[in-house]
Amino acid sequence: MTDVGLGSLATASVIAAPRGHGTLRRLLRHRSFMIGFSVILLLTLAAVLAPLISPVDPSAMRVRLRFRPPSSQFLFGTDMFGRDVFTRVLYGARVSLFVGIAVCVISGLCSAIIGVIAAQFRKLDGAIMRLMDALMSFPAILLALGIAAALGPRVSSVIIALTVAYIPAGVRIVRAAALTVREMDFVHAAQVSGASSLRIVTWHILPNCLSPLLVHLTFIFAYAMLAEAALSFLGVGIQPPIASWGNIIAEGRDYATEAWWVMLFPGIAISLAALSLNLLGDALGDMLDPRLKGGE
Amino acid sequence: MIMPLLSVRNLTVQFRVDSGWVTAVDDVSLDVGEGDCVGIVGESGSGKSVTALSILRLHQRATTRIPSGTITYQGQDLLRERGSTMRRIRGSEIAMIFQDPMSSLNPVLTIADQISETLRQHQGLTGVAARKRVVELLGLVRIPDATRRADDYPHRLSGGMRQRVMIAMAIACKPRLLIADEPTTALDVTIQAQILELLRDLRKELKMSVMLISHDLGVIAEFAQSVIVMYAGRVVEEAPVAQLFRRPVHPYTVGLIAAVPKLDSDAPRLATIAGRIPGPQEIIVGCRFSPRCALVQPRCRDEPPLMQPVSDGQSARCPPRILVLGERHG
Repeated sequence: MTDVGLGSLATASVIAAPRGHGTLRRLLRHRSFMIGFSVILLLTLAAVLAPLISPVDPSAMRVRLRFRPPSSQFLFGTDMFGRDVFTRVLYGARVSLFVGIAVCVISGLCSAIIGVIAAQFRKLDGAIMRLMDALMSFPAILLALGIAAALGPRVSSVIIALTVAYIPAGVRIVRAAALTVREMDFVHAAQVSGASSLRIVTWHILPNCLSPLLVHLTFIFAYAMLAEAALSFLGVGIQPPIASWGNIIAEGRDYATEAWWVMLFPGIAISLAALSLNLLGDALGDMLDPRLKGGE
Repeated sequence: MIMPLLSVRNLTVQFRVDSGWVTAVDDVSLDVGEGDCVGIVGESGSGKSVTALSILRLHQRATTRIPSGTITYQGQDLLRERGSTMRRIRGSEIAMIFQDPMSSLNPVLTIADQISETLRQHQGLTGVAARKRVVELLGLVRIPDATRRADDYPHRLSGGMRQRVMIAMAIACKPRLLIADEPTTALDVTIQAQILELLRDLRKELKMSVMLISHDLGVIAEFAQSVIVMYAGRVVEEAPVAQLFRRPVHPYTVGLIAAVPKLDSDAPRLATIAGRIPGPQEIIVGCRFSPRCALVQPRCRDEPPLMQPVSDGQSARCPPRILVLGERHG
């Protein structure tokens, strides 16, 4: 499945860009992009195809099979209720990846819009940034905890809570970048040639602020998965028995000394996802910076 | 009398500082006729660029005010026009190029993207038509291999090339007035000469007026027809270029011309004007140049001098010198 997908992509890019000008072709040549992309693709496929890969019910408890170490029967062992950890990690990928991606995308969009507004409309700047300072003065996890508790334990409220918690940092990053960019001569040059403010913001300022935000968002993805785990552990996030990488770890924590495998494998999954997203983010940062584009 | 293309009358521009408002440009009047090339010369902080930016109304509205003066372009008072009218004028009627070509181009857009932006804005050109015009413009500013260069990002061009791209952007919509704010200052001397030559040719070809701002008298002498000398926010002398160099009137102009290095001189040090330009916050009641002036008289310190005609086309803001010169000639 994976091979077929990549193979056809590669062929398509060769046809589309024989001269090496295409972004796609450059991406395919970029090693860290390819590693990151493959791992994320694998994890996503694992999440989507979970019922096919492991036909066991992730919530099925078998008390007699508690704490079985990893073996050929239970690839990742079993937990304190005798549930198959491998199956739970597969199903957990659905929730964790979805929460991570949703938080990344929504908080990224909001940060970009709010940040640029703050930088561009100086009258709103004070109000916006004080609000962000107020939000930032709470630890992100505490803020998310409060919001998630108020909204009730659902996936959607976890996403909303984490989005709100991570927006202030993103806004600061975009605003700082936009403030630098808006003073640059090419923005003046655009004004001189009669461009409207909206055009200047979308065409000149925003694209020049995206690299730092993108890098920041790859971290946010990892943070969001971990924070989701914490929220689930504290009882305001995803409720058991639904598996997420976070609450598998949370549940396994009490038995860490006897059954290390319960925590280890979802932990590896989180690290893998976070690492590959960092690689992706780095690669995208390179791609978006025209100075680093290779050329003939 | 024929109306000039651009006429600035008694323009005063002030900036907000902590303690109130300081005057950056004080009572400046100047005319740019159709096809004229006017040079504005002065030290840093003399108000040259502020004057230019005021013409296009490009100051921060919150921190700038223009308490008096009019800027008339083809009968329109630019200071009273609506924002949308100003946007139409910028780029299509009056264009501007800046000092630093390294930062004047957006690093994430290709050359073609940036030039066609202006074309789209003012002439509605898109797609193939815009592309064709971009290549044409790049050829016009003498960029070799224009078809391929169009798809380059700015970082792949040298400073001189970037300035050519800036000029291509500025002339894209055939403006009638080009304001060039120190266009060659950041370039080395050979490139400087090439850019000036390009500007000179384009001016003839497109029949546009040019307002050239520079602190380099050499550039002004080579390029301008008439010169305006500014000092500390005020115009101190105005003259046709030959006249200015042959017979400078204001002691500041005399000092400036004396400070130009001469190839045939064996003086061990370059001539300088003693002292420094006063900051806009310093209050000087009389002539602003009086603290540095070798010919200063008591009355110079009492009241601000007025612009007075000296001879045909030349006027200066220094009554004592004009009196002396007049006696010598009479």
